Formats: sequence, structure tokens, C-alpha cells
Amino acid sequence: MHLLTQTFLLAQVTPDDPIARELARLQHNYEFLSYGLTAAWIIIVLYVLMMVARERKLKQEVARLRVMLEEKPKR
Amino acid sequence: MRDYILYGLGLVAAFLLARDVQVIAGLPPEASQGAIFKIIFFHVPMAMTAMLCSFVALVGSVMFLMTKSFKYDAVAVSVTEVGLAFLAANLVTGSIWARVIWGIWWTWDARLTSALVCWLLYAGYLMLRRAIDEPTQRATFAAVFSIFAFIDVPIVIFSIKWWRTQHPAPVFWGGGSIPRDWFVLAGWNWLAMILLGIVLVAIRLRQEESQREIDSLRRMAHAM
Repeated sequence: MHLLTQTFLLAQVTPDDPIARELARLQHNYEFLSYGLTAAWIIIVLYVLMMVARERKLKQEVARLRVMLEEKPKR
Repeated sequence: MRDYILYGLGLVAAFLLARDVQVIAGLPPEASQGAIFKIIFFHVPMAMTAMLCSFVALVGSVMFLMTKSFKYDAVAVSVTEVGLAFLAANLVTGSIWARVIWGIWWTWDARLTSALVCWLLYAGYLMLRRAIDEPTQRATFAAVFSIFAFIDVPIVIFSIKWWRTQHPAPVFWGGGSIPRDWFVLAGWNWLAMILLGIVLVAIRLRQEESQREIDSLRRMAHAM
């Protein structure tokens, strides 16, 4: 039983492969690079979308006030 | 600014950014940092664009106090808002870089803290504007606040020279060794971001004009 446990433990140990380690590091780096760039552009795009929404609201408000001012003297 | 100039600047910015992304993707990983170093081509130009916006906001605020012309107040608020977006993107990219290189998302060192304080100050500027209804009072208070907020900008820029910080020493200006073509690439990216910033500021300025029109229409409606 003891021998069997030791065999299982040895089977789980991975050899210290520098190429595999470097590939994993590179993969990790690229993953975080993509997170960084995505996050940065999401912030800028969100700001642009906020501006588009504000533009629409301002145009509606200007139109509403103009209609209100045109209608007022008629009363 | 005319529509076709805006579209033209926007297209040039988009073209430059797309070209830079393609070139940056093709660069080999840096020896010690690996691929994550490529974030510097966005992190640094975003910071420089944000600092430039702060400077323009300072000039706009000083000019408003001197002339009391609302066009300078509109410039100040527009560039502050755009600069805040760029500074937010700069803080986020820096934090992600730090997670890989330092193993932590954030540390309270002089550069990072002063940059966060800068962001909070300019966010406070925008909140102050929302809190005051009377346009002249709002513009005057905001201009004074913006001038005081700018005091933090030199602290952000020179913090890595004045104090020992965990943040790296300046790579592009200040003795860092970087290949010339990488330097040029970062310069092109900065130009693209400045152009994008100009487009956003121009759109925001139009919104300020619309806001002033709404204010005057409301006054007319009340007077009738």
C-alpha cells in the first residue's frame, strides 16, 4: 500500500522542463497583455458611448424647448 | 470644427492605431519582461495624452478667469473629461502590467498614488460642476479648482525622479535604454491618441455649445 502511494506521488511530479515553463510564462504574459489592451479600449469606447447618449439627450432637449417656445406665443 | 475635418482626424487616428497594433503585435517579447512589456506602447502615450489634457485644462481655466469668456470654460471641461478617460485607461493598463511583473495589482508608491490622486481630483472637478447650477459661478469655481488640481501633475511626472519608487524609471526620457524604432513607434501611438483626443474634445465642445443653447432657451421660456 505504501509503495503504491509513493508510485502515485512520483507520477504526479512533472520534470522541471525550462521550455515548458517559458512557454507557460509567455502564454501568461500574452493573456495579461490582451486583458490590459482590452480594458484600456473598453474604457475609451464606454466614454464614446456615453458621449453619444449625451448628444442624443441634448438634441432631444433642444428640440423640446424650441417646440415649447414656438407654441407659447400662440396661446 | 467642421465635420469633414473631424471625420478626417478620426480616420487618421484609427489608421495609425491599427497600423501600430499590427507592428507592436509583431515585436519579439522583451528579454526580462516577456510580451507584457508591449503594454508600454499604450500605457505611456495614454499617460502623456492625459497630462497634455491637464495642461490644456489649466490654460483654459486661467484664460476663463482672465477673460470670463465661456468658450475657455468649455475647452477646460472638455479636455478634462477626455483626459480623465485616458488617465483611467493608463491606470488600468499599469495595474495589469504590475500584476505580471510585480505580482501585485497595486502598491501605494509615489507615482501610482499621485496618478490616482490626479484622477480623483479631476473626477472631483467634474462633480463640482454638476453641483453648481449658476453658469458663471460654476465656471469660476471650476476654473480655480482646475488650477489647484494641476499642482498634482508635475508631482505625477517627476515622482519617479524625486522619490525611490517601485514604478520603473522613465524608459523613453531619462536614461532608459530602448531601441530607436520602439521610441518612434511609441511616438506614433502618442500622435494617434492625441488625434483621437482632439476628435473627442471637439465633439464634447459641441455638446457644451448645445448645453449653453439649452440654458438660454430655458431662460427665454421662463421669461415668457
